[in-house]
Amino acid sequence: MSEFHQIDSYTPRSQQYRLLPFRFTQLNDQDYVVSNIAGDFMVLPDEDLRRLIDHELSPESSLYVELRARQFVIDESTAIAPDLLAIRVRSRYERLADFTSLHLFVVTLRCEHSCKYCQVSRQSDNRPQFDMSSADADAALALALTSPSPVIKIEFQGGEPLLNFPLVEYVVCEAERRRVNKRIEFVIATNLALIDRDILTFCAEHEINISTSLDGPGDLHNLNRPRPGGDSYERTINGIRVAREFLGRDRVGALMTTTEASLGRVRDIIDEYLCQGFDRIFLRPLSPYGFAIKTRSYMRYNTDRWLDFYRQGLDYVIALNKQGIALTEFYASTILSKMFTSRDPGYVDLMSPAGIGIAAVVYNYDGYVYASDESRMLAEMGDHHFRLGHVRQNSYKDIFLSPTLIDPLEESFAYSNPMCHDCAFEPYCGADPVFHWATHKDHVGLKPESEFCRRNMAIFRHLITLMERDPFVRRLFMNWANRC
Amino acid sequence: MLKLGGHIDLIKRATGIPAALYTITTDPNLPISIRPRFALLSDSPRDVTDYGAQLVFADDPNRPSLTAADNVYRVPVHFDYLKDGDIVHIDGSQRRMNTLFRKGASNNSILLTEQCNHYCLMCSQPPKKIDDSHLLRRALDLVSLIPKDARRIAFTGGEPTLYGDRLIDLIRHAKIQLPHTSVDLLSNGRKFKDKDFASRFGKIGHPYCTVAIPVYSDDPVRHDYVVQAPGAFDETVRGILNLKRFGQRVEVRIVLHKQTIGRLRQTCEFLCRNLLFVDHVALMGLEITGFTRANLDLLWIDPYEYRHILSEAIETLNTYGMPASVYNHQLCVVNPDVEGNYRKSISDWKNEYIECCGACTRRSECGGFFSSSKMYRYSDHIKPYV
Amino acid sequence: MTVNVDFDSGVFSLDAVKAACYALVDRFTSDIELSDRKIICRLTFSDSISEPAASAHIDRLRKEVLDQDLRRKLKAETEPIRNLILAHAFSKTGLIGDE
Repeated sequence: MSEFHQIDSYTPRSQQYRLLPFRFTQLNDQDYVVSNIAGDFMVLPDEDLRRLIDHELSPESSLYVELRARQFVIDESTAIAPDLLAIRVRSRYERLADFTSLHLFVVTLRCEHSCKYCQVSRQSDNRPQFDMSSADADAALALALTSPSPVIKIEFQGGEPLLNFPLVEYVVCEAERRRVNKRIEFVIATNLALIDRDILTFCAEHEINISTSLDGPGDLHNLNRPRPGGDSYERTINGIRVAREFLGRDRVGALMTTTEASLGRVRDIIDEYLCQGFDRIFLRPLSPYGFAIKTRSYMRYNTDRWLDFYRQGLDYVIALNKQGIALTEFYASTILSKMFTSRDPGYVDLMSPAGIGIAAVVYNYDGYVYASDESRMLAEMGDHHFRLGHVRQNSYKDIFLSPTLIDPLEESFAYSNPMCHDCAFEPYCGADPVFHWATHKDHVGLKPESEFCRRNMAIFRHLITLMERDPFVRRLFMNWANRC
Repeated sequence: MLKLGGHIDLIKRATGIPAALYTITTDPNLPISIRPRFALLSDSPRDVTDYGAQLVFADDPNRPSLTAADNVYRVPVHFDYLKDGDIVHIDGSQRRMNTLFRKGASNNSILLTEQCNHYCLMCSQPPKKIDDSHLLRRALDLVSLIPKDARRIAFTGGEPTLYGDRLIDLIRHAKIQLPHTSVDLLSNGRKFKDKDFASRFGKIGHPYCTVAIPVYSDDPVRHDYVVQAPGAFDETVRGILNLKRFGQRVEVRIVLHKQTIGRLRQTCEFLCRNLLFVDHVALMGLEITGFTRANLDLLWIDPYEYRHILSEAIETLNTYGMPASVYNHQLCVVNPDVEGNYRKSISDWKNEYIECCGACTRRSECGGFFSSSKMYRYSDHIKPYV
Repeated sequence: MTVNVDFDSGVFSLDAVKAACYALVDRFTSDIELSDRKIICRLTFSDSISEPAASAHIDRLRKEVLDQDLRRKLKAETEPIRNLILAHAFSKTGLIGDE
């Protein structure tokens, strides 16, 4: 019918378009990643990027149509993108207003393991001065309940928290009694060696989750985590089984610590997780805290080796998924949720503003308050830089508004950082002032020399490259992004 | 296919009867006090008084003369689907009857206007530039008559929001008169770009009202092209944002055809990233009626050919947790991975099957075809499940 | 080893050159000097570096300067709309374009 117009009538007549805010970073020799202010990304060849910025793209080209739909440009046909971008930016930062949601209670420093990478535990089983007192627990709980967040998570840590289980029981019951308009989730981070039916009955009654350590197959796990009897692995496996009986599969999780010995054994580790029936694995970075005294080139060497470990591991996980085995890698899924959604997954180490204090806080066995778990570890090594106060001596305001917390938050805010500011991956990354303090004695670090930066940029590039190459991976990653 | 309208012949009449709504009954012995609201439906005329109208399928030439009866009309036999509780509009002077409400239907569509500010390539109700506001008044009366246990009604057009605040009055009226009935309002959403209008609409506070708004592409140019209106995309999206801001339930609809299938996956991603607060997404098969027939070359694509794209789109919506449904497709032309979102149909009075469907073991789960599709165009890949 | 790399100051801003040198500070250190119409970067590599490796780093620097320059152009153009988006993202009243 003549009264219908062709699509040309709706295509902008002029070639004029306006660029919306975006950033670009090299992906590889030919291509760049561009990301807009809401964190959407696209991959463009070098030449197309330049033509885009020089306003040389034609409004009929499919690349232009894509860029406009994805909110990188606007023209006379549409002006709504800024509204949509503003909404998404707001969503991204919404969780900030809830403030601290994760509260770690170090109920004791005592532990019967002597894990190689642990900086904090004391081996002697029977010295109560390494236990948190109920007076300190009360004060810590009061601080936790002051958090504006409608949901808080209380995580019991140690040492080995089960060695001071009476205090765990006390905190759980008190928290449930005292909470007003707040949902509280509980987690116990335990090696499970000392788990028994009474403890599990209590956990079932109060819906407490268990998070345990599983470093890999028996030989690797026991090598990393010695205990008298050399049977950490056997006890862990048994503990997992029993815990699941009482709590169900979903309430029992495992984390691994990556050590020198782990590198080169990533498939074995993943197989172990599959064997134990987990549907999630977190291929964690090497901790820098034991390496603080090493040279920079050694640190770089370790980052490279870890990246090999990670890439191999991720390849294997993807291959398993292709076979129909649903296993998620947690580090990737955290990043992917930032790439594909406006939800903040709340993973402390990849947040900007930094997660210290804002997302998580630690109440130590001695009543001192620390900005994060790593901050507490630093303190055990003699550096109290991130100690925020004491539960009985300082008020909520003293602690959460102290310069000890605010200064590193402000200084490390990625968006204000000279290189982070221009980086296309900034929406997916984080500020880690504790890491940078530990390695550079500076909250920010020199980004070109930061192993945190190198590691994360390598991962961002790797994830994007995998998605570009394989539509299956893109769909898989989109699925992971929404599971966080 | 059911015909909802038809020509009627007057057999005997009383003076001065205005066009009006009547509830159908087959009971000649209703209490006299309520008879005026009813139209008595029978095979041939009966000598009874006080019914608002009598509808007969045939006039018996040997019948005694009707002394008591008045407003007796002969109606075409295609109205034999009418049942007790259905509601018709009889216009004696125009000699027309229209079925407006069917008690047994899962969903009753009430046309509010044929005016529209869009001119969609596939419009099933081509716009007319006439003042048909009598339809709005009729709808108000109809809502008062519809039984309180009716499950669902839909207000359609044209573009209902052209009535402005009078539409708000209608929705509020429906909330009061039919507090348990779901109401779907089909609209292009553009009027809701006016924040105050959206706010007033939201204030109705109808607990079961959904505004169903089409978004045909994440590409504004393509959307504007499909609806044949420049600037439509921006205003529609703005309307959706405002409605959600004021607590109104919103569904996004996408009609699947050659002009929308190309970016369907990207459009669904767009909805998930930018409009995740929308309550439901409906992916709908093409009805071969209205403008669709004139634009068939531009629009027709065999659903079997796009089944993988449909699967990808549904997978995206499911992954993001966006509630989604597929309507108006046959079960044999979609992939199994879509069946969790597949709905048998959206309007049962339009559905039919073709010959080979007789052997199909899954026929009862399948929505079949629009009568118009069956007549003009449907997939080349229809195959019974055996 | 020390190498000089020049950039035309009529084409590239000092800012862009400095940013590029900063981004690559893990590969070489640089002294920057402005002279006539040239920005001169005196790059110092580690003693153990080979010719091809140094050459690759220099190519990288040239590319990085181009990128930094492009970033400045992009930023200048999009700064106003960026501020508008952020202002509305963090405002209490809500969206732009309230009709």
